[in-house]
Amino acid sequence: MDQKYIRNFCIIAHIDHGKSTLADRILEMTDTVKERDMKTQLLDDMELERERGITIKLNAVQLSYHAKDGHEYLFNLIDTPGHVDFSYEVSRSLAACEGAILVVDSTQGVQAQTLANTYLALDNDLEIIPVINKVDMNNSQPDVTIREIEDIIGLDCSEAPLISARTGLNVDQVLEQVVTHIPAPQGDKNAPLQALVFDSFYDPYRGVIALVRVREGSLKVGDKIRFMATGAEYEVLETGIRNPREVRVDGLSAGDVGWFAASIKSIKHVRVGDTVTSVAKPASEPLAGYRRMNPMVYCGLYPSDAARYEDLHDALDKLQLNDASLQYEPETSQALGFGFRCGFLGLLHMDVIQERLEREYNLDLICTAPSVIYHVYLSDGSMMAIDNPAKMPDASRIDHVEEPYVKASIMVPDSYIGAVMDLCQNKRGIYQNMEVIDAGRNMIIYELPLSEIIYDFFDRLKSCSKGYASLDYELVGYRKEDLVRMDILLNGEQVDALSVIVHRSNAYKRGSGITIRLKELIPKQQFEIPVQAAVGGKVIARTNIKSLRKNVLAKCYGGDISRKKKLLEKQKEGKKRMKEVGSVVIPQEAFMSVLSREDEPK
Amino acid sequence: MNQNKKPRALYIHVPFCRSICFYCDFCHRFYQEKEADEWLLALRREISHYRLNTDLKTVYIGGGTPTALSGRQLDSLLSLLDPYTKNVLEYTIEINPETLDEQKAAILTAHGINRASIGLQTADGELLQKIGRHHTTADVTETVRLLKEHGIDNISLDLMYSLPDQTMESLRESIRFALSLQPKHLSLYSLTVEENTVFGRKGVTPLDEETEADMYEEICRVLPEAGYRQYEISNFALPGYESRHNLVYWHYEDFYGLSAGASGMEDHCRYDKPAGLSEYLQDPLRRDLIPLPQEDEMFETVMMGLRLKDGISLSVFQERFGMTFEEAFSGTAEKLLGEGKLLIKDGYLKCADAYYHLLNSVLSDLLPV
Repeated sequence: MDQKYIRNFCIIAHIDHGKSTLADRILEMTDTVKERDMKTQLLDDMELERERGITIKLNAVQLSYHAKDGHEYLFNLIDTPGHVDFSYEVSRSLAACEGAILVVDSTQGVQAQTLANTYLALDNDLEIIPVINKVDMNNSQPDVTIREIEDIIGLDCSEAPLISARTGLNVDQVLEQVVTHIPAPQGDKNAPLQALVFDSFYDPYRGVIALVRVREGSLKVGDKIRFMATGAEYEVLETGIRNPREVRVDGLSAGDVGWFAASIKSIKHVRVGDTVTSVAKPASEPLAGYRRMNPMVYCGLYPSDAARYEDLHDALDKLQLNDASLQYEPETSQALGFGFRCGFLGLLHMDVIQERLEREYNLDLICTAPSVIYHVYLSDGSMMAIDNPAKMPDASRIDHVEEPYVKASIMVPDSYIGAVMDLCQNKRGIYQNMEVIDAGRNMIIYELPLSEIIYDFFDRLKSCSKGYASLDYELVGYRKEDLVRMDILLNGEQVDALSVIVHRSNAYKRGSGITIRLKELIPKQQFEIPVQAAVGGKVIARTNIKSLRKNVLAKCYGGDISRKKKLLEKQKEGKKRMKEVGSVVIPQEAFMSVLSREDEPK
Repeated sequence: MNQNKKPRALYIHVPFCRSICFYCDFCHRFYQEKEADEWLLALRREISHYRLNTDLKTVYIGGGTPTALSGRQLDSLLSLLDPYTKNVLEYTIEINPETLDEQKAAILTAHGINRASIGLQTADGELLQKIGRHHTTADVTETVRLLKEHGIDNISLDLMYSLPDQTMESLRESIRFALSLQPKHLSLYSLTVEENTVFGRKGVTPLDEETEADMYEEICRVLPEAGYRQYEISNFALPGYESRHNLVYWHYEDFYGLSAGASGMEDHCRYDKPAGLSEYLQDPLRRDLIPLPQEDEMFETVMMGLRLKDGISLSVFQERFGMTFEEAFSGTAEKLLGEGKLLIKDGYLKCADAYYHLLNSVLSDLLPV
C-alpha cells in the first residue's frame, strides 16, 4: 500500500483512564473484529493482564478504515504497557509510531503517567491527539480536564473529541483525527533495511517472533538479516501482520508494522529497541535509542516443596522465552534450600511473574523480600554488585556502600501535600522541587532510594492521599549511604533468607519492627523461640515467641470423632505451607515480614 | 448379628432444652410437649427396628437436657429402655440443675439410673448469667441432695474454664464449691466457641492462651490433691469412678447412637443420625454411614486412646489390627518415640507428661499425609 494511506499510532494514558477500552472500540468500529470474537479488551492477551486491568506485553494490530475522504487507510495500532516498570518498552513502542492518542479520564484529569507518557511521546516526535474520555459519567468534568491539558501539558485541545470509550460515543471522531492529524510514515523502500524491534514473543513451533516497524528499506522471506546490537544473523522464514490474528504477507517495507519469524531459538538475540538490517546491504547506523534493559528488583524464589526445584527451573525457562527482561540464576539458601535469585524490571513485574508461576505452573513458592542492587566498594578498591542481602560481605572488608536512587514525580492536590511530603521524608527522600501546575494541583519532585519505593511506597502514597496522588519515577543513579546488613536469628540460628540491608539510622526501628512482626507470624512451638535482629554480630532487637503450652481438644467423645479429626487435618494442612528452618517452623509470609516497620503498622 | 458382637454401650440424645446456653452447639430445641411426644414415638420405632443388644453394660442419656422432658415423658423414655438395661453397670443421665424435681428423681431411680452428670459450669453467679445459664449454686446443691436422697450418689459435675471475663480466683472458687458437694467424678472443659452458637454469632472469644493454660495447670494440680485422678485430658475421678461409658469412646469400641444429633459406631462403620429434629421425626431410622477403612480406625484408635493417661494397650491394638503400633505408623512412630513425645511402658503406649497437653501436635505428626 502507498505510504500515504498508512497511519502508525498508539494510545497512551494514565492507568485506568480507558486505554484498553478505547482500543476495543477502535477494533470494533474498523470492522476488524466481529463482535462475537471480542473478549473485552482484546489487546490484553494474558488472563492475568485482563484480571489486573493492565497491559504487560505489547501487541500490534493492523486495521483497515474507510475514512470520510473516501479512501481506505491502513492503521497499525500498537499497544503499550501501562505501568512504570515497563517505561523503556513503552518508549520503544512509541518509537515505532508517528502519532499517539492521549486518553485523559475527565473524571480524574491529568495524572502523573499522563505527563510521563506525553513527554515520552514528545521525545519521540509523535503527533499527539488529546481525547477526553468518560464524558458519560456523572462526575465527568471535560472543561476542567481540557484546561488542565492545555495548561499543564501545553497541548491544544480545541479539537479534542469528547468520548465515552465504554459506549463508543464520538470514537468515530478519534478515527478521523488519526487520518487527518497523524502524518503518514516516510522512508525509502530501496534504502538499506532499518527495522525497529519493539516486541517479541516465543512460539514453540517457529521460535522467537519479532515485532518490527520498518523505517527504511524492506524485509521479505529469504532475506538474510542481522540484529545490529546482538550481532545475531538469521534467514527470514515468514513475514506477516496481525489483525489481531496472524496473517502472512510477502514482505514488509518502509512504513509497515508487522512480524517476522526466522527460526530464532533464543529470545536473548531479539532485544527490544534493537535494529534489524540486511546482511547483504547493511545500514551504516542502527536506529537511535537502543538500551539494554537491566532488572531493578531482585528476590529469591524457592519451591515450598524442595522436590519441585526442577519444575520451578522449567517454569522459569518457559517464562523467559517470552520475557527477556526476566533474569534468574540458581541460588542456595541455608534456610530455604535450592532456588533462584530472580531479577525483575520492578515490583509489578515481580508480582506478575510470581503469580504466573503459581497459577500457570501450579507451584507453591516461598519468595524472599525484594531487594535492589547495592554497589559495595571493598577496602581493596573493587566493587561488588549485591542483589541478595545475605551476600553482603563483612563490614570490616567494606569501604562504602552505594544504593540506587530514583527521581520520583508525584502529582498531588493541595490538601495532601503535607501527608505526601511526610511520607517521602520517612522514606529517606531528598526534596528537590515543587511546582504548582494548576489550581489546586502540584508536582512534587523527590529523590528517593529505590529500596524504599519497591516496598510499599505506592500503597502508602495512595492511602495517605485518599487515592489522589499519582507517581512516576526513573532511575537517576547511585548514592553513597550508611548501609548495613541486618541479620535475623531464630532460636539462635541466623536465617539467611531473612537478612536485609538497612540504613544504619533506621536499623534499630526496623529491627524491632521485624522481630515483632515475626513474633506475630510464627506459630508458637513446643519450646520458646528467641527472635533477634543483629547488625555486625551485635543484637539490636529481641523478642521471644513463647512456647505453646496447651494444644489439645477439650472434648472428644464418640460423636465428635469425625469433626475433631478434621480439625487435626486442617492443622496439618496449614503446616504444609510452612518451611522448617533448623528447629523452627516458619510460615511463608514471614519471609516478606522484613518489609514491615514498627512505625508503620501492617 | 451375634449378640456378643453387638455394641454394649448406648448413647441417646434428648434434643430438648428449657433454655439455650450460649456456648452450646449440640442439637437442641425449645421444649414443647407435643413435639416431645412425637419424638418419643419416633424413638420407639428406632429402638425396635435396630434390635438393640439386651445385654447393654453402659447407657448414657445426654442432650440437650434429658430432664427437660416432663415426668410422664421421662418415664416413657426410660420404659422404652427397660428391656435392654437389665444387666447395665453404669446408667447415666445428664441433668440441668433447675429441671430436676422430686417426681423426676423418683422416676430415675425406679428405672435403675445409677449415675448423674450435672452441668454446674461455674459457681460464679454473674458468670452463669453471661453464659446463658439459669440456675444458681443453691439449685445445684438441692439437685445433688435430691439425687442422693433417691440413692444416686455416683455424681459427676461439669465445669467450664476460659469463659469470657472468668478470673483464676473465680475458677478456684468454683472448684472449691464443686468439691464441697463431694462428687465422684469431675469434667472440666475449656470454652470452645463454635460458629453456630450464641457466642459464635456474638463474636465472643475465650480467654487468651496463657490464662487458659494457667487455668488448666491449676486444675491438673488442685484436683489430684483432692484425691481425683486425672484419667483423661478433661476428666477426673475418685478411684473406681471413671466413666465406663466414656471409656468405650476412648477405647474406640462400638456403641449405639440413637435419636437426632447422635452418632454411633458399629462393625467398622460410623454413622450420624439426622442433625435436626424435624428430619429425624420424618425418618427416625435414617443413619448416614461412614465406612471406616483400617487406616482410619488405627489413627482414630490412637487419637482417642492417647487422651487417656493410661494410654493404649499395645496388645489390644495388635490383636485388633493384625500389626503392631510401630508397623502401623512406621516412620512417625519411631520419630515420636525417639523424641520422647510418646513412650511405651508395661505394654501401654502413652503420651509423655510433658506433651500430654500438646496432644494435637503429637497427633498431627501421626496423621497420614
